[in-house]
Amino acid sequence: MEIQITYFNTVLIFSIFALSLNLLLGYAGQVSVAHAAFGAVGGYTVGYLFLEHDVGLVPGLVVGVVLAALAGFVVGLPALRLSTEFLILLTLAAQTIIITLITTSSSLGGTYGLQGLGPFTIFGQKLLLPSDLMPYLLVMAVLIYLVVRRFGESPYGRVLRGIREDEVVCRSLGKNVFAYKLTVFSVTAAMAGLAGVMLAVQNQLASPSLFSFDQSTAIIAMVILGGTGNLMGSIIGATVLVMLTPFFQNVLSFAPEKSSLWRLIAYGLVLVVVMLVRPQGLLPEGTTLITLGRRLIGRGASKGDGSMELASPGAGAAGVVNSMGPDGLDTDADAHALTELSHHGRLPDSGGDLWDKGEVVLSVVGLTKHFGGIIAAEDLQMDLRRGMVTALVGPNGAGKTTVFNLLTGAIRPDAGQITLRGKDISGLRPDQVANQGMARSFQDVRVFPRLSALENVMLAIQGQVGEHTSGLFLHPRATAQSERDTSDRAMEWLSFVGMTSFASHQAGGLAFGQQKLVALARVLATEADVVLLDEPASGIDQQWVEVMLGLIEMLRDRGQTICIVEHNLHVVGRLADHTYFMELGRITAQGSFEELTSESRLAEAYFGTA
Amino acid sequence: MPSFGEFAQFTVAGLISGSAYALVGVALGIILSVTGRFHFAFMFTYAISAYAAAQVGESYGFSFWPALLFGALVGTVFGVVIEAMVYRPLAERSGAYTLLVIFVASLGLTIAGTNLIQLIWIDSASKQISGFTNAGYFIWGLDLTKLGLIQVAIAWTLIITLGVVLSYTALGRVVRAVRINPEMSLVVGINPRIVFLQVFAIGSFMGGVAAVLNATQTAAKPDMGFTPLFYAFVVAFLAGLGSHPVRVGIVGLAVGLVESWSALFMSTRWTSLVVFGILFIYVALRPVNWSDVRRRRRRQPVTV
Repeated sequence: MEIQITYFNTVLIFSIFALSLNLLLGYAGQVSVAHAAFGAVGGYTVGYLFLEHDVGLVPGLVVGVVLAALAGFVVGLPALRLSTEFLILLTLAAQTIIITLITTSSSLGGTYGLQGLGPFTIFGQKLLLPSDLMPYLLVMAVLIYLVVRRFGESPYGRVLRGIREDEVVCRSLGKNVFAYKLTVFSVTAAMAGLAGVMLAVQNQLASPSLFSFDQSTAIIAMVILGGTGNLMGSIIGATVLVMLTPFFQNVLSFAPEKSSLWRLIAYGLVLVVVMLVRPQGLLPEGTTLITLGRRLIGRGASKGDGSMELASPGAGAAGVVNSMGPDGLDTDADAHALTELSHHGRLPDSGGDLWDKGEVVLSVVGLTKHFGGIIAAEDLQMDLRRGMVTALVGPNGAGKTTVFNLLTGAIRPDAGQITLRGKDISGLRPDQVANQGMARSFQDVRVFPRLSALENVMLAIQGQVGEHTSGLFLHPRATAQSERDTSDRAMEWLSFVGMTSFASHQAGGLAFGQQKLVALARVLATEADVVLLDEPASGIDQQWVEVMLGLIEMLRDRGQTICIVEHNLHVVGRLADHTYFMELGRITAQGSFEELTSESRLAEAYFGTA
Repeated sequence: MPSFGEFAQFTVAGLISGSAYALVGVALGIILSVTGRFHFAFMFTYAISAYAAAQVGESYGFSFWPALLFGALVGTVFGVVIEAMVYRPLAERSGAYTLLVIFVASLGLTIAGTNLIQLIWIDSASKQISGFTNAGYFIWGLDLTKLGLIQVAIAWTLIITLGVVLSYTALGRVVRAVRINPEMSLVVGINPRIVFLQVFAIGSFMGGVAAVLNATQTAAKPDMGFTPLFYAFVVAFLAGLGSHPVRVGIVGLAVGLVESWSALFMSTRWTSLVVFGILFIYVALRPVNWSDVRRRRRRQPVTV
């Protein structure tokens, strides 16, 4: 019986490893091959304190977990700016450095490790048998499951999945990606440290091979097999791979030394086969055993899930017209305005006078950026005014998108000042700029492909209680309330762009025009005062263009400050209250669209003809 | 302070080990830069080359040079098969997640392969390469070995040959074209699939040669590829992906020298940490300009 309990205990320990790695890998998209090494920090700490200083399990565990968290923090520090390949290398280096340090340090027992750990005593009870340890492990595993679930399946987890899909967009929506990554690295390393402590306690040993690179890959295999982003899957993955050892020994009657090799071969082949056959793992993200079972039984019934129907642009426009926009927009009037606009083109020209009278919301003075010898922006002066659309036009390569990158902090300017509502925002990070009330869209749309349309927009809603660890764990009620409000609000924005019927669809599966509308809803949901739109009308059909323009005009009429970069002169002519013309990083002309188009020199610069 | 003689001797040792790092760095570097595959299983093709060379020597009495060639060719076959049977099918359908998917599969191949080697040669912990008689020379006050000189000569012959091939031949032009833009090369009639296979063949062959030489010095062990793989990554990334082979080779030499010189000041147990430390610091502090790597990755997968 005790041998079965030992296997059960091992399953519990590796479930903790796998659950925590899943939070890091599956949710936040950060690959770590150093997970076993974080376990080593925990296991060796408990062992060393016990052998050298006679420290008990509970205080040793606390110290071990804290040190593991610290190790995770240090490894996480450089991780902000690393792409996947470098992150793999970094964590591989961390794994090797930690294990080499341990192996070469004589006070930690070298290759043989720290032996004869325990028996430990906990709450006055000696942990002699596996069954003595089991209840504690069970409680820990359940607790870790609940904590990981709280992190993952919450507004916090939504941000993590956003980071996984597109960090740049997350930052542009005001998320402090760096802080999220550091937190998740530290927290998951702490959990791995806990698992490492328990592994050492169970084996009464802390050795390099117990926490080797092979163990790190075994943990990865568990997460991948179970399904990244699915917590129940991680438990199943851990169970299957741990139970391979008794399977080979008892069912296939392999000799112990051969069966451990076979187990590792099986780990490896599992990874290859899962990647080839079922890359989403046994339990794909967002499924439970029950839904999976239902789907297997009722196959074919849910066939429509995958295929996507295209909404006609007309439906989109109707959606806009018929829905009640946020802030209680008067839909009838808007609908009227929209039809007016699309039928008669531009409203009576607001003219230069109106532009000059408008309140300056954003002002740029002397903005300059050079990349080596290339002038991306040279001494730019420009203003954005409330309730007006400012257009930035110019030939390809003039530096229009660079201006957006400079304004939002994605690129640091060499010189110049950017003032938003009287506040100097030059030098702020993109997330700080977003929090100050300036949001942007991207030329290449960049929806979060594996998140639903609704989740895409929800990520943009500001001030969510559940996006912070304190709110998540200390104020569950406020978190739940804020989540309901966020969802309602996001739904309103989706309905504003006429995409409600696609709320639960994966954004990556939507048609390009629909993705553009979701992206627009997302940037609007930030409720930023200043909205920068990068080619809002490019790459979509004429009918969609009409919808898009109608929406932008509605925003303008509500008093938002809008700046667009656009190539389509029809669009610029219809929307722009004021136009800046850029060439080779310099603003060479400005005025109303009509003024600019009447200058033959500009037409030549733009079209290449006189 | 170490004496000049000690310093010179350690420098020679660094040049010899550095040549080995140069060879694996160039081998892995061409695979990484042209195909974009995170080829962790290089560690496996490396080890299997050494085992194959040892086994033909033992079973069929191959002498050293034919065994070396045979071992490298076995590694080549495995490299090509892995690309054709695993990486390419994966890349063709995993889109934006190609890098991670291929890394996981490659990691799986490595674990399975390494342990399979251990299972096949379960009776011996390590395997010797037979048929090589080493000799020692004492020149200008320095201890040199025949094997060490052969290692340097072979490494640089292969590296320079590859450099010449890449720069001046039709094959080289095709490889460079695919490295820069696979889709565009398809348009001008180059099949990136074939070029990827060729690149895997070249890289795996060079890695195989390095492995047999390494095993001749010590012995073949199942996990013998781990450290070379890691050094290869360090060298390839430090030199910059897509750099000329000779430049990559020089970075390999530098890594060997730094490692060897560090042994003058600390226990040899710690010297491998120096290289891992270099990588850690390099990765952590490298100025942010991943655009070249990103662009390459976004181009995946190459559907033909």
